[in-house]
Formats: sequence, structure tokens, C-alpha cells
Amino acid sequence: MEFFTEIASFFTFSEPNVKVVFWGSLILCAISGLVGTFTLLRKRALIGDVISHSVLPGIALAFIIGQQKNPLYLIIGAAISGWISTYLVDYITKHSKIKNDTAIALILSVFFGAGVLLLTHIQHSGNAAQSGLDQFIFGRASAMNMNDVWLFTIVGSIITLLIVVFFRGLSLLSFDESYSQSIGFPNEILKLILSITTVITVAMGVQAVGVVLMSALLITPAACAKFWTNNIIHLAILAVILSGLAGVLGSAISYTYNGMPTGPWIVVVISVFAFISAFIGSKNGLAKKVLQRNQNNKKILRENTIKLFYNPDEGETLSYPFDTVFQKSNMHRNTLKKGLNMLKSEGLLKVTNGAYKPTELGVKESKAIVRKHRLWELYISRFMHLQPDHVHDDAEGIEHVITPEIERELEKELDFPTRDPHDSEIPY
Amino acid sequence: MTPSVETHNLTVIYDKKPAVWNIDFTLPTGKIIGIMGPNGSGKSTLLKAIMGIIEPNIGYSKIFDQELDDVRTRVSYVPQRQSVDWDFPASVKDVVAMGRFATKGMFKRLNSEDNKIIEESLQKVNMLSFSNRQISQLSGGQQQRVFLARAIAQNADIYLMDEPFVGVDAGTEQAIINLLKSMRDAGKTLLVVHHDLHTAQDYFEHMVLLNTRLVAEGPTEKVFTKEILTETYGGTLTTLSKVASLLKEKDFPMRHK
Ligand SMILES: Nc1ncnc2c1ncn2[C@@H]1O[C@H](COP(=O)(O)OP(=O)(O)OP(=O)(O)O)[C@@H](O)[C@H]1O
Ligand SMILES: [Mg+2]
Repeated sequence: MEFFTEIASFFTFSEPNVKVVFWGSLILCAISGLVGTFTLLRKRALIGDVISHSVLPGIALAFIIGQQKNPLYLIIGAAISGWISTYLVDYITKHSKIKNDTAIALILSVFFGAGVLLLTHIQHSGNAAQSGLDQFIFGRASAMNMNDVWLFTIVGSIITLLIVVFFRGLSLLSFDESYSQSIGFPNEILKLILSITTVITVAMGVQAVGVVLMSALLITPAACAKFWTNNIIHLAILAVILSGLAGVLGSAISYTYNGMPTGPWIVVVISVFAFISAFIGSKNGLAKKVLQRNQNNKKILRENTIKLFYNPDEGETLSYPFDTVFQKSNMHRNTLKKGLNMLKSEGLLKVTNGAYKPTELGVKESKAIVRKHRLWELYISRFMHLQPDHVHDDAEGIEHVITPEIERELEKELDFPTRDPHDSEIPY
Repeated sequence: MTPSVETHNLTVIYDKKPAVWNIDFTLPTGKIIGIMGPNGSGKSTLLKAIMGIIEPNIGYSKIFDQELDDVRTRVSYVPQRQSVDWDFPASVKDVVAMGRFATKGMFKRLNSEDNKIIEESLQKVNMLSFSNRQISQLSGGQQQRVFLARAIAQNADIYLMDEPFVGVDAGTEQAIINLLKSMRDAGKTLLVVHHDLHTAQDYFEHMVLLNTRLVAEGPTEKVFTKEILTETYGGTLTTLSKVASLLKEKDFPMRHK
């Protein structure tokens, strides 16, 4: 209960600082969702990681030089050291035998180590203004102030504007770099725009999220959004929304449990989003797959059951007691019961005195499935040159996926046949 | 007649290994020209160097007797299909629309005229009914046709195509070659990287045979001979590689100016 009143007090901005945290987290996370869309699409996740760890020495040095926690200094320091780190990774990869992933690991640990060393030095020097500095490691949104928020707003607007204006170029660069170059797009400038915006976003973002988790905040929102859409513009917008939401929720939670770092909470929230997206995302989410499989199984059971009532002789329809049906089928007893009940509720079967009798609709359905089965048998024996005794098993599976359109095509291609390869009649 | 593509001493070296070495040729316009050679013989590299995608270490190339930058809108490049990740958030139409960016640039909106061209291009490769299909859900042959449609939408005069027949079935291959022939009949020049020696003679009127160095270049009936093919496909010149790596290692100048 207390938790909810605390959360509520966050969203009513009852404390003045809360407003700062709210807007700061929202803006930072939204921008990193936008910039991160391209980090993800260009498969530069590891570079995001290098930059975020490598801003640490820059922040520490900016503090030592400026002797205070001036947000502008810190961001400039962070951006410079982040920039140097990516430059070094590219340089090493290009001009030495060291491979890209090794270069990344190398630069990341050297810069991060240097940053931690410098921070330790600052702490031991006992400067009063140091408080908040070590929080760059895990992030502390509550350490932000109104100046920070203004700075984030201005810089964030510039970044957003750049990305919106160059969106076409950036998308093409991410999809097909060679082609982009071949039609004369300025690839180098586009890459520069992406590196600069990434470095600056990270430099600002570490305040709320910390260097350790910043790269997760870059990649995860877009990865999340990718479950929901296949359009790059929608992807970017959705990444911004999800990330902003995670920023606000994460900082609200960390505010409520006073003293908890913000970064991990934001990342936990966005990870929950990712998990949910993976499960129910519309495109290739798990839920969709499970649903589809369920539907398929139902359809198969339904059709296999009604097939048991197929009667080649026209004339009166017979009723079968359960045991007769059961012997004809090779289904599990309970499965068959389920199938029969399904058909009954759909009005394909009627039950009188424990005996099942297909209705008119049921007769039609049973013919339809047998027809599909036999058409398919004929089709594969004719066009794939299979022996008649080899076609049955295949048709057992395929009969369920044949749509009316395909059935019509089969009929046409086989010239409306009347007998299947086993010389049984094909019912129409 | 102005030549379509000419290269002069074109040389590209990656990490001390020459990919193409001293390529010198002048190609005719209005023809379907095959570029052939074994794997790793520098075919893709040659196209990329001509398209300015990689900077040659030595030499230069010209298109229609002009600098690439001056004729860029007349040139279209079709990369190897495997060079991109098809799991990109885009539809078939989105990809073909990229062909229009060549004339529209980065900022101008596409208009109904562009949309018409996009549709016609899709029609030509028989992919119109796939317009809204996600590109991640295409077969290899369909991906290839989307790339071709994108190039056609550029409405260029010369097309440089890197292996447009890889991974497509016989029917699609025939459809593509017919399309290329109709483009040729409309006066376009097509440079096509190709692997299959059996079909080469039918497809190409002119050929470039490559094995890091230029083995031969000329009308098909002149260069498609047993001796030249043996030389092209008969292994690499190991001495050439050794010399190239020495040059790089010792930083020797390759050519005195
Ligand atoms: N980016 C690169 N860095 C280093 N070496 C490269 C690079 N690209 C190509 N190479 C090397 O240059 C040589 C020529 O490569 P290229 O891709 O041009 O050959 P190709 O003729 O197109 O081959 P394929 O038939 O396999 O497509 C090869 O030995 C290849 O290993
Ligand atoms: Mg190649």
C-alpha cells in the first residue's frame, strides 16, 4: 500500500525534485530510443557498449579540471572520451591485425579501468562537490537538477532534428551502405551524424542510467519495437515511446525505494517490455505462434474426426456408436471425444442414444476433406512420380492446409479427376 | 561512340593482398557485358572501384567519358544480394523506392510520378503483387528481383550488377535475362558479374575475364576460347601476390610518377 502512495506521490510531482527526475528521465530515454534504433539496425550494439563505458574517464577529468559538477563540462568531457574510444576501435581494426571484437574489448576495459581509477582518486581527495560522481556508474536520476533538464531538452531537440532531417539517408545507410554510396549519398557525413548523436546521447544518458547499463538502453527499446512493426518509421517512433515510458516508470520505482540507483530499474522495465513484446508481439511473437499452433491442431482434429464419418455410398447416412468410431480412428480415446464434441457443437454431428450421425453439413465436410486428400494423392503421384502406395502419408498432413483456391487449382491442373491413385472415387 | 566504362591501371589492394591489379579496358555501350572469373578474382571489387565505393590504390575509371560524380544519375549499381541483411524493417516497395532517391536526393519527397515508376519497375520484374510484403519474407530469387526493380527505378543508362543470377531458379533466370535484353534493346549498357560458363555465351555479347589481373576483354566470340578460359580459371598467380605484399610491407612506390 505504501508503495502505491509513494508511486502516486511521484506522479503528482508533490516534491519539487520529482519534476526534474520525471522530465530528465523521459527526455534522456526517449532520445536514446531514437538514436539506438540506428545502433541496432547498423548492428553496432558493441560500439554502443564501448562508448558508454569509455565516457567515464572523460567525466572524471572534466570534474577534476572544472572542480565542480557542471553538467555542460561533464557532457563535453564524456563526449570527447567516448569519441576517442570509437575512433581508436576503428583505427586499431583498420591498421592492425587485431580483430574488431578484440579491439572493442581492449578499448572498453582500458577506458573503463582508467575511469574507475580517476573516480577513486577524486573520492580520496575529499572534494565536497564530488557527491553524485560515483553514481555515474549505475546512474542516479535524482542527482539531476533543472539545469541538466534544460540542457537535455536543447541538445535532445538538436539530435532529434538531425535524425528526422536525415532520416532517409540514415535508413539507407543502415540497410545498404554500398548502394547508398553508389547513388551519391554522403555516407561519411551520415556516419558522422550517427556517431556524434550516439556519443552525445550516451554522455547525457549516463547521468540517469550509468555507464554500465547505458548500452542496454540504446539497443533494447528498438529491439523491443522490432517485435511490433516492420516499418522503420514506426519502429523509431515506437522505440522512443517505449523507452520514454521505461524511463519514467524506472525512475518512479527507484524514487519510491529511496536510494536505489535508477539505471538498473529503467533497464529492468525496458527488459520487461522486451519480454512481453517477444511473447505477444504481433509480428513473430511467441503468443502468435502458440495461437497459430493451437488453431492448426484444432483444425486437424476437427477434419480428422469428420473424415471418420465419410461414407462413399450415397443414400442414407448411418449412425455409429462411439466404439465403432473409436475403432476406425487411431486417435487417443480422449482426443476423439474432444473432436466429437467439437463437431457436435458446430452442428456437424448429431447424437442419439450414444450413436453419432453426421448432419447434412457434416456429410459435406467429410466429403470435402476426403476430396482434398485424394486430389493431393493424385497430384503428387502424377507430378512427383511417387508410387501410389507412398502418397497416403503425405496427403494425411497436406489435406489440412489446402485452401479452396488451391483445391480449385488442383482440380484444374488434374482436369477434374474422378478417381485417385488407389482407384477410389473422388467425391464432389 | 563514347565508351561506357573505361579503367586505367585500376589497382585495389586489401591488407597487402591485391584484389584487382592493373586493370585497363574500355567497354562499348549498348551491350550486355559479362564479367567472369573464379571466386575471389576481384569481380565485386572491380565493380565497387568503378562505383567509387572503394577508393582504388592506383588508377582511375571513367563512365561515359566523364567523372563518376558528373554522371551518377545515369549509373545504377546492384550489389550482391547477400551483402545486406534482409531482416530489415522494410517492405518490397520501400526498397524499390530507394531507387528514386538517386534522383530525388536525401530530402525531396517522392511524388505520384515516382510512385508510378516504382510500380512499373515492380511490374517489370513481376513482383507487383508483393509490394507490401516484408522483405524478410522473400525467397532468394524474389530478393534478387527486388534489387533489380530498385535499379530499374533509377532509370539509369548503365547498370553494374553483381551476380544477379545467384540463387535464382531457371525460370527466374530466364525472366531476368529477357529483361536485361529488353533493357539492352532500349539502349542501356549492362555489366553483369556471372559465374556459369555454360550460359555465358548465350547471355553476353562482350566479356571481361578477370583473375586479379585482366586476362582478356573483348567480343565474346574472340575471348571465350579454351586457352583464355584455362588462363582465367587455372589458379592464381602466387608470385603476383608475393610481390604485392612486399610492396605494401616495405612501402615501395608502385609506380614512379
Ligand atoms: N573488405 C575486404 N578486406 C580484405 N580483403 C577483401 C575484402 N573484400 C574482398 N577481399 C579480398 O579481395 C579478393 C577479391 O574479392 P572480391 O570480392 O572482389 O572477389 P569476387 O571475384 O567478387 O569473388 P566472388 O566470386 O566470391 O564473389 C578476395 O581475395 C577477397 O578475399
Ligand atoms: Mg563477388
